[in-house]
Amino acid sequence: MTSSLQHAFRSHSSTAPAVVATQLIKHFGELEVLKGISLEVPEGTVTSIIGASGSGKSTLLRCMNLLERPDRGELAIADEAIRFDRNPQGDIIGLDRRQLQRLRAKVTMVFQQFNLWPHLTVLGNVIEAPMRVKKLSRKQATALGEHYLERVGMADRRDAYPAFLSGGQQQRVAIARALAMEPRLLLFDEPTSALDPERVNEVLGVIRGLADEGRTMLLVTHEMHFAREVSDQLVYLDQGHIACSGTPKDVFEDPRCRQFMAPAA
Amino acid sequence: MDFSWLSDPFYLSYLWEGFVNTLWLLLVSAVGGLLLAVLVALARLRGPRPLAWLVWAFTTVMRGTPLLVQLFFFYYGVGRLMEGVPGIQETFMWPLLRDPFFFAALTFILSVGAYSGEVIRGAMKSVPRGEREAGRAFGLSGFQVLTRLWLPRAIQLCLPTLTGEMILLLKSIPLVSTIALMDLLQAANIIRDETFLVYEPLLLIAGIYLATTVVLTVVLRFVELNFPGMQPTQRRWLPIR
Repeated sequence: MTSSLQHAFRSHSSTAPAVVATQLIKHFGELEVLKGISLEVPEGTVTSIIGASGSGKSTLLRCMNLLERPDRGELAIADEAIRFDRNPQGDIIGLDRRQLQRLRAKVTMVFQQFNLWPHLTVLGNVIEAPMRVKKLSRKQATALGEHYLERVGMADRRDAYPAFLSGGQQQRVAIARALAMEPRLLLFDEPTSALDPERVNEVLGVIRGLADEGRTMLLVTHEMHFAREVSDQLVYLDQGHIACSGTPKDVFEDPRCRQFMAPAA
Repeated sequence: MDFSWLSDPFYLSYLWEGFVNTLWLLLVSAVGGLLLAVLVALARLRGPRPLAWLVWAFTTVMRGTPLLVQLFFFYYGVGRLMEGVPGIQETFMWPLLRDPFFFAALTFILSVGAYSGEVIRGAMKSVPRGEREAGRAFGLSGFQVLTRLWLPRAIQLCLPTLTGEMILLLKSIPLVSTIALMDLLQAANIIRDETFLVYEPLLLIAGIYLATTVVLTVVLRFVELNFPGMQPTQRRWLPIR
């Protein structure tokens, strides 16, 4: 596919956003980490969250599949509003676990530390959730798993255990694991930050390929140049606020944004 | 050294019965105890606070009192107490409540549950948090995360320690000779009393314990080495450098 075709494909496939967050607030004890963040990831687009350490990027990302539960705000995943339990003041105090499990199957995550399951083989890691959560047969899940391992170039290591793989290989398996659920949205939490410098590119290459396919992705990254290249939308987070957002071109050309990013870039 | 008594079929049948009882007790206590241990670990890590406290008290008592005292407590204390419950002698439970094997197994299950429960709790705590988080992030239920991801990893981490616990259990079993249960030591005592030979029967059963320990160690080492995901550097049969 040429890039103009991809853009046509993307704009046509843009229906409802994969995720819509409205006025998210999150505290850790006294510390307010997210101070009312609203964010939308349109279908078929890539959004990158950038910002200094401690700006709340990872927390924001982890709110999108509710690994962190926000204290206030609204969240809709794949056109479905999360049913939060709230106290009379409107603070979130709980949620519907069944709905959560169902929606988490549609929003999968790639972690900074890979978080592969060491007692399962590469293929075992990839087919676990499709089998247990989507209730696919082992045969179906294996076919799917092999397809996505092929996609990330790890098919020949399907029977290896994670401990026998390099960091870059582990992260590619983790990406295949996230893809095998065929999610509406892929979350990446600093996917290259735990890698040796020479391994970063093999992982970025895979992610770039996914962006070119028109997958919907939300990533937290320190790789500014990469974020600028692959993203349709950039969100710059500063101390729990969105300091600026827009297309990469907008953000990088806006003098006010540039000023924010100067220390990071 | 006089081992001529070994040709006596009566003594051999005592020894055989004692050996079989020992192995049964080991198996029942190990399986029951380890199941209890998982529950103990879970209650302390994830249970509601009152339950966690209760289980803490249980482990403290079981680990803080001698096993022999516990055995007497259950067999003579609880066992005799049950005798006085009206009508209990007519229930199906009664044969069980008179059986020293039942009280021995109960005591050992509780003991293994307490000791190994703490071992498993520690191992569960040392499984990296991210592995469980990844399970949750992919929509696995809490129960699936526990049974598919958390427990297998925890057991992998503490298997060598659990092997040690099982060996200790095997060698606690002679205590049951004090509550009239035919085990290896009981058999040796009978032989001693009747033949006036002290060392020979003891040497024999010591040898049987040693051989059983070696077999147990080898079996559990096999499980350990074949645990999925082992690193190649750890694949050594004898855990010696």
